[in-house]
Amino acid sequence: MLYRADFHIHSCLSPCASLEMSPKSIVTKAKQAGLNAIALSDHNCTFNLPAFSRVCAQLEMECLFGMEVTTIEEAHVLCLFDELDRAMEMGKSVYDSLPDVSGRSAGFGDQPIIDENEEILGFAEKFLIAASTFSVSALLGQVHALGGLCIPAHIDRQVYGIIAQLGFLPDEAFDAVELAAGGDPVLAKQYPVVRNSDSHQLESIGSAFTQLEVSELSVDQIRESLRRQVS
Amino acid sequence: MKISDLQSLESFTCLQEEYEDIEIVSGYTSDLLSDVMANADEGSVLVTIQAHKNTIAVSSLAGVAAIIICSNRPVPDDMLAAASSEGIAVFQTAENQFNTSALIAQHIGGCPAR
Repeated sequence: MLYRADFHIHSCLSPCASLEMSPKSIVTKAKQAGLNAIALSDHNCTFNLPAFSRVCAQLEMECLFGMEVTTIEEAHVLCLFDELDRAMEMGKSVYDSLPDVSGRSAGFGDQPIIDENEEILGFAEKFLIAASTFSVSALLGQVHALGGLCIPAHIDRQVYGIIAQLGFLPDEAFDAVELAAGGDPVLAKQYPVVRNSDSHQLESIGSAFTQLEVSELSVDQIRESLRRQVS
Repeated sequence: MKISDLQSLESFTCLQEEYEDIEIVSGYTSDLLSDVMANADEGSVLVTIQAHKNTIAVSSLAGVAAIIICSNRPVPDDMLAAASSEGIAVFQTAENQFNTSALIAQHIGGCPAR
């Protein structure tokens, strides 16, 4: 089956994202944009994934469960899982490692945790823009141990892109690297490329996407398909 | 040295002028925001090339009063809007972080020992 996938979408939990980004609105908009696979990837936190999972089931959208981790080097790395509990386990490790700084006083968003009906259940207490204690290598190790995909995000960007932060793209077992819509594929070196929208507002969902030819939307199949891209 | 005194330094352009004009007693130079968040002093001036909105959030948490963006890195409008609502002064300079830090240290009479 040919998937048109956008695996980098933020919900209202991310303090820099619009409040309209509820799982329900995201999935509805993704369908309108012609996507048939998406992932929710909030900053350093997976608290909105359970609602996202239920909405995807209700509205028949295939999905992965993601998170965009800020490593100790302050590079953004996308972590994607095909099982909710694995994503939640990774999410707990990352959230627990964030500094004990409240997000409320940063002058940013409220970081609401919401349910499938857009009711507010609570708020993520820690400041989600802060850096975790995971190095790029340590993160990669743990994501792979939990059966996920590990993909440095927007490597062509000056802000939080891995090349801007480290000065180079390290030789690691990344499953792919992510480029923004117009990003130069030369930057990706030996890695497969994925393109996602990194949406913080509804209107940009699907503005970049990756085509994947897989029989089912599983981590194993996606990894296989990405490897074929470079072999 | 007060924040407004930075405005009279030739190499600096003030991009965000809505701030409380307090006395600067220390500075912090870093491009790693987690480091700024953990170590910058209340009422300090931050010297950095990280020209984006998250720098304001982190500065607000740490109590940084003014930010100097070095090497003429472009400063986006949403960063200035956030700085305005937090009352943090933002300056831009063509100089690098080393020269900027040295200049400010000279004006505040050296760096206080930590």
